[in-house]
Amino acid sequence: MKKIRIGMVCPYGWDTPGGVQSHMRDLAEYLIGEGHFVSILAPISDDAVSFEDYVVNAGKPISIPVNGSVARVLFGPLASSRAKQWIASGDFDLLHLHEPAIPSLSLLACSAAEGPLVGTFHVSTPKKKAIYAIGPILEPIVEKLTARIAVSELARSTLKDHFDTDAVVIPNGIDGQKYANAPITKEFSGPNTIGFMGRFEEPRKGLQVLIDSLAIVARFVPDVKYLIAGPGDSDEFVKNLNPQLQNRITFLGRLSDRQKESFLKSVEIYVAPNTGGESFGIILTEALSAGTAVVASDIPAFKAVLENGEVGALFRNEDSSDLAKVIVALLRDDARREKLATNGKLSAQKYDWQVVAEQIESVYEMAIAGGQRVTLSSENRFWSRR
Amino acid sequence: MNLENLAVLLFIVLIGWYLSFSASRLDRLHHRVETSWATLDSLLQKRAALAQEIVAESNLDPATAYLISTSATAARDANIIERSSAESILSESLKLVQNAALDNALELPSELLVELSDLTSKVKLAINIHLEAVNATRNVRSQWIIRLFRLAGKAPLPVRYAFEDDSL
Repeated sequence: MKKIRIGMVCPYGWDTPGGVQSHMRDLAEYLIGEGHFVSILAPISDDAVSFEDYVVNAGKPISIPVNGSVARVLFGPLASSRAKQWIASGDFDLLHLHEPAIPSLSLLACSAAEGPLVGTFHVSTPKKKAIYAIGPILEPIVEKLTARIAVSELARSTLKDHFDTDAVVIPNGIDGQKYANAPITKEFSGPNTIGFMGRFEEPRKGLQVLIDSLAIVARFVPDVKYLIAGPGDSDEFVKNLNPQLQNRITFLGRLSDRQKESFLKSVEIYVAPNTGGESFGIILTEALSAGTAVVASDIPAFKAVLENGEVGALFRNEDSSDLAKVIVALLRDDARREKLATNGKLSAQKYDWQVVAEQIESVYEMAIAGGQRVTLSSENRFWSRR
Repeated sequence: MNLENLAVLLFIVLIGWYLSFSASRLDRLHHRVETSWATLDSLLQKRAALAQEIVAESNLDPATAYLISTSATAARDANIIERSSAESILSESLKLVQNAALDNALELPSELLVELSDLTSKVKLAINIHLEAVNATRNVRSQWIIRLFRLAGKAPLPVRYAFEDDSL
């Protein structure tokens, strides 16, 4: 593919950790490595923190509740004019907008731009009443996208429900090698270690389900250890537990990227007890490529990644005793655990960046095949046409 | 001017704005349909050419070679009405090549095979993108206000090709 100038727009605060941001960072770095030019327009909450030189600051995001979490997004007249300026000065062949259907910087850029536009839809949410009200406003804007990408079948059906349009499914990419070759750390390893990672204060991450399972698991496997990684206040979760069980839980706090890789590789079983609101489950694919056995709730997104239990064990969503049963069975059966891990590692290869990014590049190629470039749509009004 | 007249005036201005907005929206959609079709068309042409090349360079049995060669020619020469069925037949027959290659029963330069699988996935993508544009355009054009004011002008209604996605 010929080398092109790509502008990407991030809807959420660049300096807050999240799936969309890390997906964009990895994609940008891959594309730059391939020789393309990439510029990312993103809201940044703390401009004292340094960020990558391909990122352009669009201003401070505000916090609004979305889909059970708090999203830090940015919109308004100032953001809109910054987006326009960035488009006008960037001389882009193509814009790649992430999550263009929520009120955010991506939506602003989408409405301001004209030409080859690619949109990636990350979230999956059940059909909401509010969308009936804003649907007719958003539709003409979302319609401008030349090509749409959904990160999962679920995100695709959300898009179908809300806007009556279809999309190509390209999963999120991961750098599988990084996890497969991560060193095993003593702190996180050992027989009967169970790992969990995430912003556990959010109820939909399901840490409560995991902790409730401990009482049963500890009865069968007395030396089990629950390792909980991620930022948040742990007191809420342990204060009602019997002190003996409390000893079995360790809160590790936030881990660095390197620690995260070795955490996923070191633990005996990784558990994802999320109760819903997940569209893909990138953490599962990361644990799988580390070669770790995975146990996850049977929500649709996880079932899809774990191929209905072929490459990881599933338990009934929100059922802590079922989770305990699955964990105990898996801890006792070394052969099955190893088999799941091997299958999982193989299956995770399809999420590898090399594969995923090539698919995204072909979408780009389609989008720019018309020979147009990105312009501001106001340049195209009849009174300013030359 | 009394309030009533003002309200009527406002209403007319609003209608006017909406009509001009819809017209430019439709214009953009028609443009999208045209470019996505052009992309798809050129990919399909390339695929037909590649099919001929595969026939020439491989040790396919005469029956399969004949099938692929005729379906490639048919796909190239097909008029707009027969196009989608001709392309679907070509997809089917090219699948024979890919299956034969999987069984290692085929002597074919590997770069041709790579090109074929590359082109196949691109055609799939282009079909998806084109159908998207067609559907969006047809949805907008079915609105009564757009039909009433003939905002689509003389642009032909885009055709929804029945490309069989799974046969690719």
